[in-house]
Amino acid sequence: MGDALKAQEVGTLRPDGNVGTRTKRYGGLERASGAQKYAADLDFPEALQVAIVTIPVGCADILGVDTSEAEAMPGVVGVLTAADLPSPMPRFGVSHKDRPVMADGRVNFYGEPVAAVAALTQEQADAAARAVTVDYRELPGVYTLDAALAPDAHLVQDPSDPTKRAGDPLRETNVIEEQTIAWGDLTEQEAKAALVVEDSYSYPMMTQFPIEPLAVIAEPTDAGGLTVYTPVQHPYLMQRIVAGLIGKTLTQVHVIAPDPGGGFGGKQIPKYEPLMAFLALKLDRTVRLTLNLAETTTAIRRAGAKVHARTGFSAEGDILFHHVVIDYQIGAYADVAPRVMTKGSYVGGGPYRLPACRIEARAVLTNTPVSTAMRGYGAPQISWATESQITDGARRLGLDPARVRLRNLVDNGEEFVQGEFAGKADGEWKEAVVKAMELAGWDDPLPPNRGRGIAVGIKSSATSGLSQSLVRLLYDGSAIVYAGTSDMGQGARTIWAQTVADELGVPVGKVQVISGDTDLVPFDLQTSASRSTVFMGTAVLRACRDVRRQVREMYAERVGADPGDIDDEPGALLTPEGAVTLDEAARIGLGALRGEVLGQGTCRLEGRKGHPLGGDASFYEFNCTISEVELDRGTGQYVITRHVSVSDVGTELNPIQVVAQEEGGAIMGLGQADMEQLVFDEHGRLLNASAIDYRVPTYKDVPLELLTGSVENHDGPGPYGSKGMSEGPILCTGAALGAAVTAAAGVKVTDLPLTAERIWRATRAAAEGAIA
Amino acid sequence: MVTYYKAHAVADALEVLGRTDVEAKALLGGTDLLVGLGDRLDSAPGVVVDLKGLADGEPLAVTESGVRIGLTVTMADLLADPTVSTWYPALAQAAGEVGSVAIRNRATLVGNICNASPACDTAPALLVHGAQVRIASAAGERVVPISEFFVGPRATTCARDELVTAVELPRPVPGTGSAFQRLTRRWGVDLATVSVAAAVHGDGRIQLGLGAVAPTPLLVDVPAGTDLTDRAALDPVLDEVLAVATPISDIRAGADYRAAMVRELAARTLRAALDSTRRTQA
Repeated sequence: MGDALKAQEVGTLRPDGNVGTRTKRYGGLERASGAQKYAADLDFPEALQVAIVTIPVGCADILGVDTSEAEAMPGVVGVLTAADLPSPMPRFGVSHKDRPVMADGRVNFYGEPVAAVAALTQEQADAAARAVTVDYRELPGVYTLDAALAPDAHLVQDPSDPTKRAGDPLRETNVIEEQTIAWGDLTEQEAKAALVVEDSYSYPMMTQFPIEPLAVIAEPTDAGGLTVYTPVQHPYLMQRIVAGLIGKTLTQVHVIAPDPGGGFGGKQIPKYEPLMAFLALKLDRTVRLTLNLAETTTAIRRAGAKVHARTGFSAEGDILFHHVVIDYQIGAYADVAPRVMTKGSYVGGGPYRLPACRIEARAVLTNTPVSTAMRGYGAPQISWATESQITDGARRLGLDPARVRLRNLVDNGEEFVQGEFAGKADGEWKEAVVKAMELAGWDDPLPPNRGRGIAVGIKSSATSGLSQSLVRLLYDGSAIVYAGTSDMGQGARTIWAQTVADELGVPVGKVQVISGDTDLVPFDLQTSASRSTVFMGTAVLRACRDVRRQVREMYAERVGADPGDIDDEPGALLTPEGAVTLDEAARIGLGALRGEVLGQGTCRLEGRKGHPLGGDASFYEFNCTISEVELDRGTGQYVITRHVSVSDVGTELNPIQVVAQEEGGAIMGLGQADMEQLVFDEHGRLLNASAIDYRVPTYKDVPLELLTGSVENHDGPGPYGSKGMSEGPILCTGAALGAAVTAAAGVKVTDLPLTAERIWRATRAAAEGAIA
Repeated sequence: MVTYYKAHAVADALEVLGRTDVEAKALLGGTDLLVGLGDRLDSAPGVVVDLKGLADGEPLAVTESGVRIGLTVTMADLLADPTVSTWYPALAQAAGEVGSVAIRNRATLVGNICNASPACDTAPALLVHGAQVRIASAAGERVVPISEFFVGPRATTCARDELVTAVELPRPVPGTGSAFQRLTRRWGVDLATVSVAAAVHGDGRIQLGLGAVAPTPLLVDVPAGTDLTDRAALDPVLDEVLAVATPISDIRAGADYRAAMVRELAARTLRAALDSTRRTQA
């Protein structure tokens, strides 16, 4: 686990340094002023515009595609159909290689590309795309978990297809993967229980809703390769996948990834890039696809889930057992999505000391768009159920739900997952709960119609990874850091600039950060799982230390000293004659030819075979959230009067960015708890792709009081004792808000989102029940 | 390809709108029209006729007998006008709920009613304020009560060769109070799930304007003399007068929730309208 990283020197904060201060956002002015160039802002005067042809159902056999009319239309340069692609259809995916470049004889989800039209203008491409005639026969697709799991359900992936599920014992079902995590004896514990809470919960499908819609530009190069511009979180994986599909070397596929305008996990798997690569090569022209918000909403989503849970408690509030059965709605192709199930369900017991636990999880295929990572991965889905169970148990036992959590939370170093692949607490998690209770005024009485709820969340971070960085200390004392992390709003560039500034003694304004270009920047696995501060941060730190080592050696050689007599510290060499600033020492060492010092740093963590997470977590994110609402009983509407989110961050490398991530995660989590959901009809069509009916919070929906806090014990594996922290605040938001609504309304709602209508129905049903 | 045409006078606009060889759509604030155009639909109009620069477009005019709201008057203009908020609180409240600040700076009252959404925010208020709609055509001008203006979802009595030039509101009888409330799925920038305007007129009439519970906004009368302060007595009265509402189930709400909410909001707005008469009297 983190020990592999922790064993390295992680450094201590410089009292006069940049790390640990509210250093201004690198590139923040450009982002705020609109000067920042996002993918859709890039100018390609010669590019053809592309429109994707789809059919208005979620599952159908394609009987024919007639492009003749479209090809004759003004401005149309070419049309790509499956017939233009190699046979068998090339498929891609990060872990399951099951997604076709375009529909392979059958459309398996609403929005799956059937053809692509390239024309001189977007209007011409759109018009021609509408003129492509697709003859299809609709099939009885499965659009919900219940439909997919019913006996004789339509199978989303053909069990006889050797390219997909051959040899898979589950191939005659829509279950693509399953996992059970279990320890202890449920029956024995149940016999001791004073209370057993049993309930079913649902968590809807949602979209990541980046404000920047997806855009892809594919440009053939003179060398017979491609340059692909795409705002993604995984430029190197993208490069590997595209190169593999078109049979080119990595040097022939150049991925330029402009900083994404919001990613949240949705820009972490290839979607249209393979299709665009084939189209560019077929036409030998630069082609450009810019999706609108509705198309982006259709293209990326988080898995929904259905959960059934039984939880036993002692009269004093000890959790005796927890048994969860959870199904994640994955989509038509697996790609990386089953990992959402495995990682989410691994932490399904919560951060508690459980004598017995059983988590049975399945990843289920449906004829819906492909799901993928989203902030929190699979944890929010299962935490919605687990934490609602704990709240319900405390309420029924007449115990304080915060103190029930404190009673059951594991201590630092204690196992919360038992067995061969145990998971242990790696922080002082109770401190976060205590701090949140203080911020929320947990024990203060509330006025009528108000309710308060608490929940805790946990998520395993990356279990393997590789990040490499280069740092150049230039002759004039400025520096350039190359780091492949995608800065999608989390502020990665700022952290690298701060780190380099402190380690090399360079003013932060003289550090340049280069990222998002596979030709220029060394490898990074991807920007995901809140890994970057720990993994890339360590790589940057090591690159800086490599620069210092080289400066020390060059300086010693130049002045004729024994390198063993010289020590280095951030920003300086310590010589027997006294301290020499690093830039001065570098100038002396470099001599008359000048030049620069080039440092290299690598951070590698290997996975562990057989582990349900693919390896031990490099660290855990832990969060405690408390929500408070005021309910309007007549309408079911509520105002979030106060919301508190506290995470264990190890060390705040930039306090203002920590607050921004904590607040942003909390608001996103609240939106997902109180309004967001994707709704499909009986033909698998997405009904609310537009910004009008897919609701995300506006500024007016933000809690009246939003308070955040951190626990800092400098115990993380990242630089200066840091941990990743950007997902913590979204892990248990639903359960905290649900508990607050329950406290205010006196009824329990088990389905998200917690809409006014749903609360009104629950209170009305409870009132009718009371009368009856 | 959509052609943009900037009209300079009402007559000029009417000529283009009346052409039969091309589908023309009037553009004011564009807050509905441009969203539709962005959807890349087949039904996109051939010509967009921009009315914002009309030399003979009327401003917001206040007279002894009432207020006249020309076609380029925005929601923000209405909110900034002290007479509108004094005489027509329900309209001012409704205008203040439309979209966001940015949208209210663009969106016009005339555009809002011509879009004719069943959930049109300003329609319930205009109904209880007794608005009249002035419609111009090459043949001259006609005036239609707002209660006859809406004929269906996205459909009005204004024909394709006509143009709404103004909305006129009569000066309220002294002692009149009004209020508007709507239910939305989130607190900021949303379409109404249900909306209600109420007016307690100085002459004793009590009226409700209802949005998003029928194919068109509805105007209903509440019996004069109804005690608006006694909820238990009011609810059965409301059940009777609100029976004309025929809410549907859609992605925004279920029909039964809409029905219950229109009653809830009716009771609340009636009470608020009554309170506003007391404030004006005090």
